[in-house]
Amino acid sequence: MAEEKDKTKGFMKSESGRRLTQILTKDYLDLHQRAGEGAFVVWVAIIVPAELFYGFDNVVFAVPESHAALSAAKGVGMLQCEKAEHNGYSMDICSYARIDIGTAMSGGQDSPTFGLPRPHLLVSNNNNCSLLVKWFDVYHREWNVPHFILDIPFCYEMQKETDLKYIVTQFHDLIRTIETLSGQKFNIDKVQEALRNSSGAAKQYKRFIDCAVHRPSGITAFDSFVQMAPLLTSRGRPEIVDHFRKLAEETEEKIRSGEFPLPEERYRLFWDSIAPWHQLRKMSSRLADLHANIIAASYTSCLGSIEGSYEFIQEYENGNPLESLARMQNFSVCPYGMELRFKAMSWAARHYGIDGFVFASNRSCKVYSVMQMDLQKRISEELKIPSVMIDVDHADVRKYSEENAFLRMEALLENIDAGRARPII
Amino acid sequence: MSDVGKNIIRARENGAKVVGCFPLYPPLELLHSFGLIPLVLWDLKEQVHTLKESDRHLQPFTCSVARRITEFVLSTEGSLFDGFLMYNACDTLRNMPEIITRGLEERGLSRPFLKFHVPMTPARQTDSTGYFAGRIRELIIEIENAFGVRFSSERFLASVRLYNAIKKLSLEMENLVAEGRMSYGDFSLLIGKGFFMTPEDYLSALDGAAEKAKSNPAKNISGGRKIIVSGILPPPDALCSIIENAGLRVVGNDVASQARSYAYVPREVGDPVSYYTDFYRNHHPCTTLLYSSDERLTLLTGLIEKKNAQGLIFIGEKFCEYEYLEMPFIMKTLKQKYIAMLQLEIATDDHEHVEAFRTRIEAFSELIG
Ligand code: SF4
Ligand code: SF4
Repeated sequence: MAEEKDKTKGFMKSESGRRLTQILTKDYLDLHQRAGEGAFVVWVAIIVPAELFYGFDNVVFAVPESHAALSAAKGVGMLQCEKAEHNGYSMDICSYARIDIGTAMSGGQDSPTFGLPRPHLLVSNNNNCSLLVKWFDVYHREWNVPHFILDIPFCYEMQKETDLKYIVTQFHDLIRTIETLSGQKFNIDKVQEALRNSSGAAKQYKRFIDCAVHRPSGITAFDSFVQMAPLLTSRGRPEIVDHFRKLAEETEEKIRSGEFPLPEERYRLFWDSIAPWHQLRKMSSRLADLHANIIAASYTSCLGSIEGSYEFIQEYENGNPLESLARMQNFSVCPYGMELRFKAMSWAARHYGIDGFVFASNRSCKVYSVMQMDLQKRISEELKIPSVMIDVDHADVRKYSEENAFLRMEALLENIDAGRARPII
Repeated sequence: MSDVGKNIIRARENGAKVVGCFPLYPPLELLHSFGLIPLVLWDLKEQVHTLKESDRHLQPFTCSVARRITEFVLSTEGSLFDGFLMYNACDTLRNMPEIITRGLEERGLSRPFLKFHVPMTPARQTDSTGYFAGRIRELIIEIENAFGVRFSSERFLASVRLYNAIKKLSLEMENLVAEGRMSYGDFSLLIGKGFFMTPEDYLSALDGAAEKAKSNPAKNISGGRKIIVSGILPPPDALCSIIENAGLRVVGNDVASQARSYAYVPREVGDPVSYYTDFYRNHHPCTTLLYSSDERLTLLTGLIEKKNAQGLIFIGEKFCEYEYLEMPFIMKTLKQKYIAMLQLEIATDDHEHVEAFRTRIEAFSELIG
């Protein structure tokens, strides 16, 4: 099918984009169908090793955070937040949590996926954020559903062996819990297969985000925000490897044939926060008018990484799958501290040739935001790269001012220009 | 300079090493047994009046607890600490060790910052005792290395006894407040000051206050409108006065820096692993101890029944998502039990503006009267 340039600039519609929509649609339909047919349903936090569930014949999983992101991207975030607020949940709570609680409390009404099927088990963890444990506790209490809390020590330094062993013990407990609750037997070989698929998909995904190395960049971070969804909701399946391979090939082919989301790219920016789901098209398009492209983001470093890394590190072939899954518990940036995030971002700045950093301070997400003021200082002092801090709530549009954000981002571009004009001494 | 600053200087002049700790339930006995002075950095509203330093590091959407700790530690007074200890709590606090370390480094100061992981798995789910024992042993070695001290089981047992005596006396005083022999405002003030005293001084201050309270006549034992107060921080002092002047009597509390800190008195043993296993596992339920928060509702309803309370006042901490997410279900359940509730939310600068709550508190008092 011929490529068509989207109506807005800085965003390409592609064959892989259409395939992504099909995957996600099919995923949510299958989830509802299998749940309706009696599958054991688990709700998980994004870091929870969903590959474990493939070890059972009839266990399906749903990811409320991804559902909340999708709701925000489809424009119903605010509506669902308001429902939660009417039920007493403060407007200062993370907007993902509010969207999800709002959706759950209205029986899936207004959700782009008709909500999520009711869970038999909730599995949260406290390293990506511990708010999530409290969020899942809401359902645990309201619906009387068991809640399994994975306690994953936060990393100020590289993961310790003792912590890894502690995590593996908890995985064994989780497996036992599901066996007891679902009456199904666990088969570790199937987990191994799922883990290989996740690892393969992550490797291809990293190949795709690496298309940002090219000048001009072969992608925008907005493409990667959208494309990372199946890494979280469809982990472990073979078709995902295929999808990401095709995505990488297609993007590399475009680079070879000189097709770029922003051919007249003048500013290569890095985004430090969750995707601004309600602004994807607007923001990318308005930045494109300024010849600026956010080409990479700490948010999308994702699966395949470990604490302090942006690059692909955790390739799985063989070995103990539970240990490998435990080692992957810090694949997103939130489970580790400032020193390690600075290390990952410094690597990305060099690797992608970043001209400026955009720190999106997000009152909804303390884990992402609370260290940003110091991080910003380090980036400018040690990397000598200009940066700006803007206020963005990732999923609640009411807490975002486009004009304020662009006023600052335009100042950043001026700052980059000023740096370029300055003679090198 | 505040009293706290003076206390720290005095202690250091006498050769003591002072360790700033947070959040509320650190292994104080252990630090104390090494001859160190552990001070819990909590409820710093009396000590911190500007947020100049904190505003350079933390966004205004962080809670008052985190902002005041940062301000206090990075101000001149705070830099008098010899080291810090933090255990895992919420999403805001986990960033603090690196932020504080960096802030001190900007001032040319380098201090050991010990981090300690308390398992958050419910006991019915995972047996974390082996892992936890390893963390305690590791912590002992880290303390020894950081401060050049040596562990002694006898000294540890003596410290446990001292801190347990404080807990028992605090419980006794809570009852004196319930009997109307001491105001809740005075009680809160004393407990708050205790965070910045040596345990020996604190015990004698509590003892003196308890003796004095016992000689006061009990007021309104049968009458009065009895309430329970719950929250991370106690009501600001001025708010305590408003509550008590509105005819309400605090007969019990579920405040993190009060009952949650002293209500459980662990067995007195000389082995830190056994002691802290008991201490954390059987701790009074707290929203910050993730494995325990299921028990909070049971505890609250039990407390209300036991103390024959007519209502409950929640003191919400602005931007504390832990409390935000627990509260609606608790409110709903208590409402179904016909328990009257009032939910207030206190922001960092609300301590000067508590008058705004007066009408609501008076109306609440009339409602349950
Ligand atoms: S607080 Fe942040 S990390 Fe936690 S669920 Fe919300 S957006 Fe995700
Ligand atoms: S009040 Fe809440 S947000 Fe603040 S430090 Fe305590 S638990 Fe964390």
